[in-house]
Amino acid sequence: MTVRMGFVIITSRCIDCDACMVACRAENSVPLGCTRNWVASSGIKGNFPDVKLAFEPGNCMHCANPSCVAVCPTGASQKRPDGIVMVDNSKCIGCKYCIEACPYEARFANPDTGKADKCTFCYHRLEQGKLPACVQTCLGKARISGDLNDPNSAVSKLISRYPTRLSVIEAGTGPNIFYIDVPVPEIPE
Amino acid sequence: MHEEITWGLLIVIYLFTAGLSAGAMVASNGALLLGGERYERISRWGAYIAPFPIAIGTGMLLLDLGSPLNFYQLFLRLQLTSPMSYGSWAILLFTILSLVYCYLWLPKNIQVLKVPRNSELWLRRLAKVMPILSIIVASYTGLLLNAASRPLWQTPLLPQLFLVSALSTGVASVILAASLSRRWRANHQELHVLTVFDAVLVATELIIFAAMALSARLGPLSQRLAFSELISGQFAGMFWVFVVGLGLVLPLILKLVELKGDVPAKWYNSIVVGSSGLVIFGGFFVRYLITYAGQLHGWVR
Repeated sequence: MTVRMGFVIITSRCIDCDACMVACRAENSVPLGCTRNWVASSGIKGNFPDVKLAFEPGNCMHCANPSCVAVCPTGASQKRPDGIVMVDNSKCIGCKYCIEACPYEARFANPDTGKADKCTFCYHRLEQGKLPACVQTCLGKARISGDLNDPNSAVSKLISRYPTRLSVIEAGTGPNIFYIDVPVPEIPE
Repeated sequence: MHEEITWGLLIVIYLFTAGLSAGAMVASNGALLLGGERYERISRWGAYIAPFPIAIGTGMLLLDLGSPLNFYQLFLRLQLTSPMSYGSWAILLFTILSLVYCYLWLPKNIQVLKVPRNSELWLRRLAKVMPILSIIVASYTGLLLNAASRPLWQTPLLPQLFLVSALSTGVASVILAASLSRRWRANHQELHVLTVFDAVLVATELIIFAAMALSARLGPLSQRLAFSELISGQFAGMFWVFVVGLGLVLPLILKLVELKGDVPAKWYNSIVVGSSGLVIFGGFFVRYLITYAGQLHGWVR
């Protein structure tokens, strides 16, 4: 079976420390003022004493049908066979069409290169057998990554054991980040 | 995640100028094929206007690129899933052919390069091809925004809106030039035909806006929120005053008054120029509004 890289993000384990954003910036030299990943806050919900606050980390969803790849006029935006969505800088003209087309607003125009920039799944770390920087650094183990097609991967086990949620499914791009909102006491190997 | 405007004024200017060029070209082609000698001034002015606004607009597009020296990558392939890809080819072809068409219309004494003896025939051939190319150039921009999956831009009527707006601004620009010119001044009959067309186009545009509002109301929450920015939100002033009031309703009234024919002679020219100027003004703000308001809202998470 082909490899299909994706994430499971457990919102109940995120404490909004933003270490994933710092790790990504350090690993990938992301310019200040831009970011390849984020932690969104729900804002305080409810009334005292029944109040709730949840955080939803995110990054490129490495969609099954990425609209950024479809609209790219030069073929710079590509989906690799393992599912990772990438930008080939040598072909990118900086038209920003992909930035407009992404329903998750996961892309930005890199002010240094003029090209579209986004999460690369730290493919250079995967090649060395390491985890993406954001996953490696996450102290609450809220971010888990792996092959969604491998039934023995941690992501597949989590998806089979807990209810999951996808973000903005009405955009129809088939995101590959699965959110788990319920408490997860233990992360499978 | 980003909140700022990704496509700004440069893109708006491009969307507007490309539409105006395409509209002027269609007016010229139509007048040549349907009227011949009778509508000669319309064909001539349309041909003289068409190549230039779109050339300026394409310059704006290049300025907007983050990596402008890489632009040739656009012309190494055709990506059928990307409206920008086939749109670029269409702009290129349109610009080249409209320059040829314009050149063939120039007075004989300033044509530096020799033109073939049967240039009349070539003009007619071009006039049959250019409307197709013009319609692609004018409406693909709607598909371009359609494909960038933002709630307001996903309105299915966007290509039609841009097409009608493009034709009306193009026709208005021909009316302006042909009524202000001394050498190739349009006669009463020519202006009458153009004005009928422009009035129909402006009325159609009003209907399309109404249909868009209706379909947004019945659409998903993201779309309702996005459209409410036009009707009652941040862009309401521009929408109601610049686009609907000054750009569509007022020129439509002026044109209907003009067509009724009982305008005092001394007012006639001012009304012709004024109503056409307003149509062009409104056409610019149609692009401005759709481009900016469309980027105000993403998807509701």
